[in-house]
Formats: sequence, C-alpha cells, structure tokens
Amino acid sequence: MDKGEEILPQLSPGIPWEKRSDGWWLETQDTGVEKMARLMTEAEARLVTITAAGTPKGEFRIIYHWDLEGRMLNVVAMTDKGSIPSIAMIHPASDWMEREIHDYYAVRFTGLESAPLFLNPEDSPGFFLGSATGRKKEKEK
Amino acid sequence: MSFTIPIGPYHPALEEPFKLEVKCQGDIVQDAAMYVKFNFRGVEWLAQRRNYSQAIALVERVCGICSHLHTMTFCRAVEQLAGLPVPTRAQYIRVIIAELERLTSHALWAGIAAEVIGFQTMFMTCFDLRERLMDVLEIISGNRVHYAMNCIGGVNREISNPDAVSDIVKSIRQQIEEKLIPIFTTDRTIRARCIGIGVLTREEAIKWGVVGPVARASGIPVDIRRSAPYAAYNQLEFKVPVETSGDVFSRVVVRLLEMVESCRMIEQAFKQMPPGPIRGPEFVEVPPGETVARSEAPRGEAFYYVASDGSDVPRRVKIRTPTLVNMPVVKLMVLGANLADVPLINASIDPCYSCTSR
Repeated sequence: MDKGEEILPQLSPGIPWEKRSDGWWLETQDTGVEKMARLMTEAEARLVTITAAGTPKGEFRIIYHWDLEGRMLNVVAMTDKGSIPSIAMIHPASDWMEREIHDYYAVRFTGLESAPLFLNPEDSPGFFLGSATGRKKEKEK
Repeated sequence: MSFTIPIGPYHPALEEPFKLEVKCQGDIVQDAAMYVKFNFRGVEWLAQRRNYSQAIALVERVCGICSHLHTMTFCRAVEQLAGLPVPTRAQYIRVIIAELERLTSHALWAGIAAEVIGFQTMFMTCFDLRERLMDVLEIISGNRVHYAMNCIGGVNREISNPDAVSDIVKSIRQQIEEKLIPIFTTDRTIRARCIGIGVLTREEAIKWGVVGPVARASGIPVDIRRSAPYAAYNQLEFKVPVETSGDVFSRVVVRLLEMVESCRMIEQAFKQMPPGPIRGPEFVEVPPGETVARSEAPRGEAFYYVASDGSDVPRRVKIRTPTLVNMPVVKLMVLGANLADVPLINASIDPCYSCTSR
C-alpha cells in the first residue's frame, strides 16, 4: 500500500475522491483544512499551491493542490464569510500562498499573522484582483 | 555592532526589482526579510478577460526566460479540458524547445553566478554559450525570447532543419562537458565561494516544498518530467541529477549535469521524432470544467489551474511559478552567512521576480 492509498480514506471518510486525468479531486463539505494539512505533512506531501476561485455567492473555493509521490491531490474547501483557517503553522509552505491570496482577493486566513507580501501599504487587500473591475474602478472613485 | 542593510529593489547587481533587508551582527547575517511585490502585472486577471488563443500570447510574457514552458503548460491544461489530442510529433517538438529553453536558462544562470563570484572569463564563456543557444532557438522559431511555438492542440511551426540543430546541440554538449563542468567543479575560487555556503537541509527543503534544482541539490529527486511525465518525456531516457550537500556548490553541479541531460534529450528526440502532423483537430470550444497542469521549468515545477464556464474566455487562470516556492527559503540560507555571500546565495536559487509577481 502506497502513501496515497493510506491518506485518501483518512482525509475524507464517507466522501469519495474523484479520479480524473489530471489527478484526484475531493470536494469537502466543511473547512477541516487543518486536519488535511496535518495528514499531508505527516505523509511528506508537497503543497504545490493554493488556488482561490470566486463563486457567484461571494464566497471562494479554496483548492489545495498537493503532490504525493507524483500523484496530484486536489482538495477543495469553501470559505465561510470570506474566511478559512490558515494552515501555515502546520505546513509552512502555505505561508506565501495564503498571503498572496489574502492580498489579491481579500480572503482572510485566520491565524495567519504574516505581513502583507505583495501589496504596497496604501493598497487594501482585494484591491488588485478582488473585484470584477479591479484597479481602474477604484481609481475612478 | 548590529545594523540593517537594504538590498534593492533598485540595485545595480539585481536584474529585477526585489528587496532583501538583512540584519547583521558584524559581517554575519542574523535575520532577513524579503519583498517581491514590485513587478505585479495582473496577468491572471488579464487572462480571464481574453479568449483562449489571446491568453497564450499573454502567458508567454509571464517570464522572459521560460516563456515556452508557460504556453505549453497553459495549452496542456486547455487541451485536457477540451479533450484535444496532440500529435506525437508536436509532443517531441515541445520537448525540444523546452530543453533548449532549459539550456538557455541554465547558461544564463551559470554566467550570472560566475559574475557574482568574480570570475569574469567564465561569465563571458557562459554568455557565449547562451548566445549560441539563442541562435538555435531563433533558427527554429524566428524569435530569441518569446518563441510562440505552442498553440492549443499542438505547435505552430515545424523544425525545418533538424540535422543542423542537432549538430549544434552536440557541439554545445561537448563544450559543457569539456569546459563548463571541469572549470566550475575544480576551480579553487569557485569551490571556495560555493562549498558549504547557503546550505538548505533536506528536512527544510521538504518542509518548505521547494522545487527544481534547489530541491534536487538538497537530496530530493523531485522532477515532474519523471514523476508525472508529459509531452514526450516518457519516451526519452534521462537521468535526474541529485546532490545531497544542499549548498551553493550542489546547485551549481545539479544545473551543469542537467544541461548535459537536456542535450541528450534533444539528440534523442530528433532521432525518435516520427513524421506526421504538428497540430490536432481544429480547436472549437472548451466545455465547462476545471483542470490542472504542471511542467518542469528550468527553475522547477510550474503549475496552471484553468477553469472554463463553456465560453471562449477562461473563467479562472491561476499560475504558480517555481520562484514563489523557492524564494522563502533564501531567508533560511542566509542566516549565519557572511554578508558578502548573500548575493551569491540569493542568485543560487535562480530567482525570477517577473514570474513570481506576474
């Protein structure tokens, strides 16, 4: 049994993984991302990146892309009122990724205390990519 | 005495804007902070407002060194979403350009490293090699930086004179084996400046998820071409050079050995490449869905997420370049280092701030 076969059932009891040509996908119903981060860290999985994708309801799908022995595992969580727990204390590689998403989309990663990475001090989070109209609209105001 | 030194964002020794603030006790670095926000261009935002074909030209400009890699990864993602087959010949052409690009990138890096070390002759040698490589890319594509080779479903151009290109690559391999590797690995100055400097342990490399030559120099054999093969890489024989010391010297050695492997792959690809079309069926539409694609760039794994709502404009394009995951560990590498070694340690990860900020 490889690491993936051990990890997959533990991460999603009762929720099936979907196997696609580009890897394995899991849509979680809650924001148990800390448990995911612990399991992945123990298995020496590598966090490839985190993707934020907006939804019509104003929340964000937060997709954690992991590489486990060459296998791509994509775990999808949802923000709750624009927030999701940070996993940076458990898995340091997520630090810059979370900061980038916070700066660009104003998603709050609770527990993340790092300084802004990409923004100038006068720019508020979400200023660049958080709205459909972006910077031009902000300047018009 | 303790003092803080700001290096950048506008600095004669840095080609791109980046700021490193180092706190020193005497000549020894005690702490460091990094800022990489100066080159933000909103490429993802722009890509979500252009159709798929226009987005190819846009993502090609994420980086001026690994431009082919970006278009290839984006096209692969769209091909996956649309279920488009890519002809075998096109897959080989993609590999040839990608490996030429890796050679160009590594030659550039070796030249810059030599300059930072203070070895001007080696700088000239590496840049002479790079010029020859760029000439090869110009012969093939007509361009020296943005090659515009990829399209959705294949490539735009044939390699019209494969024998001539293959001969040049052979002579380049000879130059790497007979000049670059012996000098970089035996010269006393280079060894003194690189061995035991800027160490990243295997444990830290795993913890921070570093990629590419930085990871491989710390004993982690991560290479997407091997672990998740794409294009024609599963048809080629190649080694993944791995070193275990985790210092600047290991990063030098890994990149030099990779250059030899790239030449070998190009030579193999020319021999194995079958005749046939270079583009698949006409690209009509991308159905709703989402996918990921990743490729091994010269600096490590590059990642694309593309989501479609069925229109001709991608709903979401996410790009993660290798420098974004390699940059944070510079802070670990410079702790306890001599201030004079900081530029070389920083250069040793082959950073690209243009890619990082995108």
